[in-house]
Amino acid sequence: MSSIGTGYDLSNAIFSPDGRNFQVEYASKAVENAGTSIGIKCRDGVVLAVEKIQTSKLLVAGRNKRIQSIDRHIGVAYSGIIPDGRHFVNRGRDEAQSFKSLYKDPIKVPNLIDRVGLYVQNYTCANSVRPFGINAIVGGVDDDGAHLYMIEPSGVYWGYCGTAIGKGRQTAKAELEKLDLPNISVKDGVKEAARIIYLAHEDNKDKEFELEISWVSQSETGGRHEFIPQELFDAAVQYAQEEDDDEEEEDEDVEVQ
Amino acid sequence: MNGINVDINHLKKGEVNLGTSIMAVKFDGGVILGADSRTTTGAYIANRVTDKLTQVHGTVWCCRSGSAADTQAVADIVKYHLELYEAQHGAPPTTKIAASLFQELCYNNKDALTAGIICAGYDDKEKGAIYSIPIGGSIHKQEYAIAGSGSTFIYGYCNKNFKSNMTRDETVEFIKTSLSQAIKWDGSSGGVIRMVVLTASGVERLVFYPEDYVNA
Amino acid sequence: MNHGPYDWGRPSDDTYGAYNHQIAAANNSQFPKMNTQQPIVTGTSVIAVKYQDGIVLAADNLGSYGSLARFSDIERLLPVGDSTIVGISGDISDLQQIERILDDLQVQDSYDMEKPNLKPEHVHEYLSRVFYNRRSKMDPLWNSTIVAGLSSTNELVLKYADLLGVTYSSPAIATGFGAHLAIPLLRRKVETEEDASKLTEEEAVELVRNCMKVLFYRDARSIDKYSLAVISQSRKKIDIHKGLRCEDMKWEFAKHIRGYGAPQL
Repeated sequence: MSSIGTGYDLSNAIFSPDGRNFQVEYASKAVENAGTSIGIKCRDGVVLAVEKIQTSKLLVAGRNKRIQSIDRHIGVAYSGIIPDGRHFVNRGRDEAQSFKSLYKDPIKVPNLIDRVGLYVQNYTCANSVRPFGINAIVGGVDDDGAHLYMIEPSGVYWGYCGTAIGKGRQTAKAELEKLDLPNISVKDGVKEAARIIYLAHEDNKDKEFELEISWVSQSETGGRHEFIPQELFDAAVQYAQEEDDDEEEEDEDVEVQ
Repeated sequence: MNGINVDINHLKKGEVNLGTSIMAVKFDGGVILGADSRTTTGAYIANRVTDKLTQVHGTVWCCRSGSAADTQAVADIVKYHLELYEAQHGAPPTTKIAASLFQELCYNNKDALTAGIICAGYDDKEKGAIYSIPIGGSIHKQEYAIAGSGSTFIYGYCNKNFKSNMTRDETVEFIKTSLSQAIKWDGSSGGVIRMVVLTASGVERLVFYPEDYVNA
Repeated sequence: MNHGPYDWGRPSDDTYGAYNHQIAAANNSQFPKMNTQQPIVTGTSVIAVKYQDGIVLAADNLGSYGSLARFSDIERLLPVGDSTIVGISGDISDLQQIERILDDLQVQDSYDMEKPNLKPEHVHEYLSRVFYNRRSKMDPLWNSTIVAGLSSTNELVLKYADLLGVTYSSPAIATGFGAHLAIPLLRRKVETEEDASKLTEEEAVELVRNCMKVLFYRDARSIDKYSLAVISQSRKKIDIHKGLRCEDMKWEFAKHIRGYGAPQL
């Protein structure tokens, strides 16, 4: 037993004496070193962005998308064990479809997150399963406006104005806090998202990455979750790189002094 | 056959039917539902003071026509679903959601049901809303809806006299006149005229006796 | 008294015969399970014809309840994705079910967040499989449909599918009454693909509008208000015109008609 610690981390079904579920905590470790994902709640919608770490130069550029849709009006970005994220999204789609088949109305974002939250929580209760190795950012618009949530392996979820997960989360959160959320437009949100991902990538400098940005807003996309148009993407990247350079210059100035 | 058998078709013939005149009308403050009060088994009036206006949730109601048993069962199931909906979603269901549940039940069980339903209600999102769900289980959003055997006699009258955004009193008069004509020409409709007014301030019930409406 | 019904006993088998356990069975019947229904609220014909640059199709806005013209705002030309129109006649509750099935299909198609991949050839194949599956369960969706659009290779698709799972393709298609009244008129102009390639858009619209007028004259389950869709290959676009009316009708000759044979005042 001693070689494997206290043994309380071997099962979901057993608490440690101080009331912790170690498996759930370990699941969060799977997220901590993954590529950064952020979500920004804006005046008229939500922006999602991910720093997609390129694990191989042989991967096809611009493919293997990481941001996914749960329904027309709901998008997801997650960091962690990717297959877990894919499974999470599939469950979300099933829930959205099941709601619509009964009520003939698109599911509202808070109701969707309630349902998937319950599902994720279930994976922390049984000995036969392990928790989800992801943090997922779920954003969308419905009749009540824009919504942004982040859900953790424990199944807990909170509503946010801006949220960041993955390796660069601290840097990203610091930047998000400087923004006037949720009072900026989604167009501004897109630019900031690109900038923040570029900045957060400093924490993961040795690896190549690809930027992905999606948005969902009543005014810009008619309430549909979509990847942003190429021109907007290029502009956002340009803005991000300029800001990034400025910052480096500032850094250099500091060094000179 | 020697065994005791049940002839379901014979039972169906004796079924209690809401050979009915029902309607619902949108107005500037919400929606009003109206119905006669006659229930028949064949030519016999099984109940002359029936209440065909049924609450399924708060300010979401329905008018029932067709088989009394079928429509009561369907309304009960919808009522159950809406109660569950509010508990699960933390907000009252809209009229559209209630109507969709009626539609789902009537469509999936169309072979077993004789139910013509008007679902009408008031909710914060849509204000007044009316959905007609005829037998077969299709769903139709309307400004006003009429249904039941007596409605065939008032298609022309209603089409000519309905106006959008009437006042509450105009709407009550419109329904009273329409249903009085339906009752007059349809042997399967009769008794009193019941109405339910659904607005932001809640539910109000009205009853009009034959002496009130025959000359309306 | 003993209130347990099971203790009350049954009429003696000698007198009444053994209990027929089928009575308690859910489907108490000597017949096979019957799911087949009949259409209740119905929509009449859909008509469609190819022209040199696309397809024109039309369907009126009536929902009939027997002979009662119950609903006059039914939209029976459904856009699916960005390059398909499905025109549906028959039962309206089943039309709405098809609408929901096709909407689910579009949501699934949008999961990859690319442009719509769903093309008319896919929609037609899918729909015909749904129809055939349902009719094989003795529970058909009571509709005839016309699927029209621009394929993945930007070619014209004009196909038919119905409640039996029957499918075919032709440069001029009509369902219901239209198969009797409109097809002869459409084929007078467009018998073959070659004929279609000579017909201009204006001529095609004119032709279809004339068919809708004739259908209004002679189909007792039609109204004079309809929707008309124009699919254009060169514009890569579909336009749906709603609330069109039958125009240039001729009724004046009625005044010369008196009596029904023998001369009459």
